[in-house]
Amino acid sequence: MAPVIQCENITHYYGNRLIYKDLNFEVQKGKILGLLGKNGTGKTTIINILNGYLKPQSGICRMFGESMDKLTPQTKGRIGLLLEGHIQHSYFNVRQIERYYSRFFPNWKRDAYFRLLEKLQVTPTQKISTMSCGQRSQVALGLLFAQDPDLLILDDFSMGLDPGYRRLFVEYLKEFVESGNKTVFLTSHIIQDMEMLIDDCIILDYGKILLHKSTKALMEEHPGQTMEDVFIELTGKY
Amino acid sequence: MFMYQSIIYKEWIKTRSMIVLMAIVFLGAGIYSFMKIAETGRLMGMINYWEGTIEKGVSFFEYFKYLPLLLGILLAVTQYVPELQFKRLKLTLHLPLPEKNIIAVMLAYGLAVELLFILITVPLLLLGLSFGFPREIVWGAFWLILPWFLAGLAAYLIASWICLEPQWKQRVLDFIPGAGVISFFFMGVKAGAYQPFVIYLVGFILLAFAFSFYSAIRFKEGKS
Repeated sequence: MAPVIQCENITHYYGNRLIYKDLNFEVQKGKILGLLGKNGTGKTTIINILNGYLKPQSGICRMFGESMDKLTPQTKGRIGLLLEGHIQHSYFNVRQIERYYSRFFPNWKRDAYFRLLEKLQVTPTQKISTMSCGQRSQVALGLLFAQDPDLLILDDFSMGLDPGYRRLFVEYLKEFVESGNKTVFLTSHIIQDMEMLIDDCIILDYGKILLHKSTKALMEEHPGQTMEDVFIELTGKY
Repeated sequence: MFMYQSIIYKEWIKTRSMIVLMAIVFLGAGIYSFMKIAETGRLMGMINYWEGTIEKGVSFFEYFKYLPLLLGILLAVTQYVPELQFKRLKLTLHLPLPEKNIIAVMLAYGLAVELLFILITVPLLLLGLSFGFPREIVWGAFWLILPWFLAGLAAYLIASWICLEPQWKQRVLDFIPGAGVISFFFMGVKAGAYQPFVIYLVGFILLAFAFSFYSAIRFKEGKS
């Protein structure tokens, strides 16, 4: 079976600073891959490359077999994208943003969005710009659930979330992925709760991959330790 | 089709407050212009007023000189600054539509709003003037204000080009020729002098439609 995401020999520099050299990885259908690393290790960069928002110096990424710079509208419709910081069109209110996105996706699940938002103390006419980061994360997640994409790409979804919202986000996400044959590629610099969610993990350091293996194998190799402990052991505290 | 309607809906939500505000400003400028014309007519006598406009080339609608320009710039700013803030344009370009079409619809929306203001304001101004002045003077007023209103369309497209540009340095470089071209619309010559020149101004506006696509390509390449 062809992988949903395929990155081959990605090399990228910002000026003279090497971000990665010959980065290779794949994400198989139905799997959740977590790309973990400290700030500045190039997690957002790979998401930008994947979606065609940045040209790497060399290498190629494919999603559903299509090259990153030639993604068709049909393929884009199968991919749900969460930007770093849960960025959305904040000039909309809760109802308007649902109305806006609903027309782009044929399988739009309006109820999934409003069911998630019922749990928040927000009114349908509340503007997104007036919400807290946690509330915005739920709006963004609700929109992704309603879109019902085959592939979810989440860029540092834990950024700015307190532990309560982070746990909530992880639980809803897990439930969503298990409900259908969904594939997820996510990045995070917060490792806490990750072992609950991801099937495979890549730990990035500056310029290179430190580790790429299944979460199960990783946890078996480090009995009694959390993923966060393993991460710190590999990357150092600072 | 519904998808394109949705993009127009987004642009409307971003710009509606500014559009209402500018409609009030245009209305106010129109009312004030006619009050001024009526007052001058009363003080000078209409025959003298006619003579003055023909001999000295008096402009009736001086208050409208920079309003279409202002509308064009504000439209571009309200449409595209939120898209570039936090790189929200990534969300817009990720929609399941061809990227060129998305940018084209956004630009077409802005141009349609600017054109709507022109198509309502210009005939109303000329109609009002025709009650007190002969056709030649009304026609002269039309040729005097036409470049100002065309400047609104050009300013919208140039401001969109600059706002969508991801790099500050390049924005400054884009601004210099952009401001230079806009100044052609305000050379302050007498009514009618622009007549042979208007076709070139319209030609520039058509050409400027392509500029924003270049900025969008640079955004996609990750320039920042």
